[in-house]
Amino acid sequence: MALFPSTDRMKRYMRAMNAENMKEWKIELTYRVDFIRGMLEPLIFVFPYVLFAMSLMGGRTSSVLEELTGVSDGVTYTIIGYIFMGFLNTAVWGMGFALRKEQWYGTLESIFVMPVPRWVYVMGMALHSTVHQGIILFFQIAVVYVLFGVILNVQGVLPVLILVALMLISLVGLGLMVSGLALIFKEGWIVSEVLYSLITIVTPIAYPLAVLPPLLQKLSKAMPTTYAITGIRHFLIAENMEFPLWDAYSRLIVIGVCWVIMGLVIFHIVDRRVRREGTLAEY
Amino acid sequence: MDISRNAIIAKGLVKTFKKKARRKYLVGPKIGKDELIYAVNGVDLEVKKGELFGLLGPNGAGKTTLVKCLSTLLLPNRGTALINGHDIIDDPIAARESIGITTGGERTLYWKLSGRDNLRYFAALYGLSSAKAHERIDYLLEIMGLQEKQDERIEKYSTGMRQKISICRALIHDPLVLLLDEPTLGLDPSFSRFIRSFIKKDLNETRGKTILLTTHYMDEADQLCDRIAIMNNGKIVAVDTPENLKKSIPHDEVLEVKCVGTADFEGIGQRMYYRTENGVSVYRIHAEYVEEIMSEVIKAADSAKILSMNVTKPTLEDVFIHLTGARLTGESREE
Amino acid sequence: MFWAIFPILWVIPFIFQGEALVGGMNSPEFGELAGTERFVPFVLIGAIVSTYLFSSLYGMGGSIRMESYWGTLEYILGSPARKISVLMGKALSESISSTLFVATQMVICIFGFGLTLAVGKILPILLTMLLLVAGLYGMAIALAGVTLQIKESRSLVHTIEYLFYLFSPIRYPVGIHPLIASVSVIIPLTYALIAIRGVWLLNQPINALWRNIGILAVLDVVFIAFGYSIFYFMEKKVRKSGAVSQY
Repeated sequence: MALFPSTDRMKRYMRAMNAENMKEWKIELTYRVDFIRGMLEPLIFVFPYVLFAMSLMGGRTSSVLEELTGVSDGVTYTIIGYIFMGFLNTAVWGMGFALRKEQWYGTLESIFVMPVPRWVYVMGMALHSTVHQGIILFFQIAVVYVLFGVILNVQGVLPVLILVALMLISLVGLGLMVSGLALIFKEGWIVSEVLYSLITIVTPIAYPLAVLPPLLQKLSKAMPTTYAITGIRHFLIAENMEFPLWDAYSRLIVIGVCWVIMGLVIFHIVDRRVRREGTLAEY
Repeated sequence: MDISRNAIIAKGLVKTFKKKARRKYLVGPKIGKDELIYAVNGVDLEVKKGELFGLLGPNGAGKTTLVKCLSTLLLPNRGTALINGHDIIDDPIAARESIGITTGGERTLYWKLSGRDNLRYFAALYGLSSAKAHERIDYLLEIMGLQEKQDERIEKYSTGMRQKISICRALIHDPLVLLLDEPTLGLDPSFSRFIRSFIKKDLNETRGKTILLTTHYMDEADQLCDRIAIMNNGKIVAVDTPENLKKSIPHDEVLEVKCVGTADFEGIGQRMYYRTENGVSVYRIHAEYVEEIMSEVIKAADSAKILSMNVTKPTLEDVFIHLTGARLTGESREE
Repeated sequence: MFWAIFPILWVIPFIFQGEALVGGMNSPEFGELAGTERFVPFVLIGAIVSTYLFSSLYGMGGSIRMESYWGTLEYILGSPARKISVLMGKALSESISSTLFVATQMVICIFGFGLTLAVGKILPILLTMLLLVAGLYGMAIALAGVTLQIKESRSLVHTIEYLFYLFSPIRYPVGIHPLIASVSVIIPLTYALIAIRGVWLLNQPINALWRNIGILAVLDVVFIAFGYSIFYFMEKKVRKSGAVSQY
């Protein structure tokens, strides 16, 4: 069996990924109320963090934050981090639960007998979740502009898109890992929840890296979300970065490649295990 | 292994599952022992191209496990198989390209999608272009008589209609090999008849598909299959045409006695099996000359009321019991 | 294990956020709204108490959903046992496990985060939590009823969870915004948290908090009555429509 599929096969896999994406959209749109709720909920998700920040600052600005980052607007600072961290959600829950969802539907065996590798389904779900999150992000930016007067540097949009794309490579790897692990753990949601929690704890979402204790700073530097979020804040609200931009880009690429490889390996191991144990259809 | 003549070849397939003894409470002694269950235990199989091959056995015989191994859903512990020349372990994707499969279960389709959308999705997974998929879907829906229902969600379909869509899905890419796992399970008699006729006449005789059909209905296997493998406890105990299998029983006549109440026919004839059907005891007595035992049977009936006595030919169930001592469905008593 | 530990770990980013915004663990501006400048204990107590919120929101509805999945729901609803007994049984089971989580979290907060708790305060805090649990499980019974009908209620529960986080003083004092303060008056968590923080952080005597505890008790009655009515209504509806056995 060849290591890399032929062009023809890759085209087929792309078609399958898109079919998976479209299928998910169709199913999602049948639950209309749920779909609307799913679009609106992220809009309010960020409010508790913002209100907490405001209760600490007694307003909108913080001289301490300005000294640390060059940005005094604590509200905007908090919002940026949390809305872009929504992409972590897509990896851990959207992609991570792709196959678990199929188990829930009862269709996992039906799709596993199809002549496409299993990772194609996760990638298809990744496509769906990413587009979903992109739409939500757009609405979130509109809402925070209206409610909190958040103004972002428009010129930073393109580099931000690049950073998000690079972050997504790592998150796809993470999604593959979680998706595989969710197949073997009966309470697979715990895998997602634990990973999500640990990554959000070590990522400087609403604060600069400098406030983390030394050990957590080391862990933070292994997370793609650290480089992405810090870089995004740099481009959108002119935060002073604690490491060179070029460093952020290169580390994102390296972490991305490593996580994708790890994700594929774990996924492959888990796939063989569930097929050996015969637990594919078990929920 | 002759891959030019055989569409499916299995060699020494073994599939085991570990059954762990459970504890009654979180901590404490285990109830029972850990067990290794041989669901498929050294199966050799060859299905010729264009053949309609039946796998007959009771629930738990290993039929579905074998089908899952062949379709690459399960990884065998030992042995291998070739589907259309492709090894299921070394080249599973190519093997899957050659297969169309229907598996059991109510929920193998997306209930929130229409019949058409389900087929469109699976067609894409099989690598069909949109145009080709459209053509195939129209054609299959027409054969199955589902054109009017195609845009309704699967959740509104009856069980029979869902099974039809499952079969459409198995055929969407026009595969060479079909694995049909209990295709008429849970269907009402009219749908079952349609499905059986479709499998035999349309798929096998007209289109020349190689079909591996699993069932525990002996009538179905008898009616449809060119050859049948009888499976029990993970092993194939016999493979032959239905006629030859029935001839393998020493006696080619069976006296079937139906009575109300229990009768003692012990010692009459060569072999006797019985079952209960809707409160009626049904005895099947094998004898060299059935006429000679009739008076003995009437006498032995005693207080039981005989409802009918028929001379019949051996069925596949008789073959199964003769070979394994167990019944195709439920318990048996052999005397 | 997860529910015993992670609700506390989720507080950690707030500590770092505080460090970034006010340069330490105290904020005078926060103190003006909350009565204490120490926002870390404030948030930790919110995290501990919100464990009951999670278990009431997800536990009961999830339990009904699992009965539906296993196919046992019809038999439970069709049995001669009174529905309220079944629901109370589920609520009792959920609240016992939640209490174990809460106890573990309190130990982590005391030894890991330096939160202090005088022995004399334990009883009033526990009694307030028990009152809170009663009200939350009234709401949970309503959600269980909704689950009978709409099956996949998890996303609705998610939204309710967010609304609780937004409109009750789990993370911040409700005085931060008039709208938040207005809506918070109908949420039992508000009064429970004010009473518990009053005793634990502000060293207020219990008789200074009778008003909050009294309102909490009244809300409990309202929520329980409301919850049971919703469940009863939904149960009748699904039995009429035959949706009990649907998955």
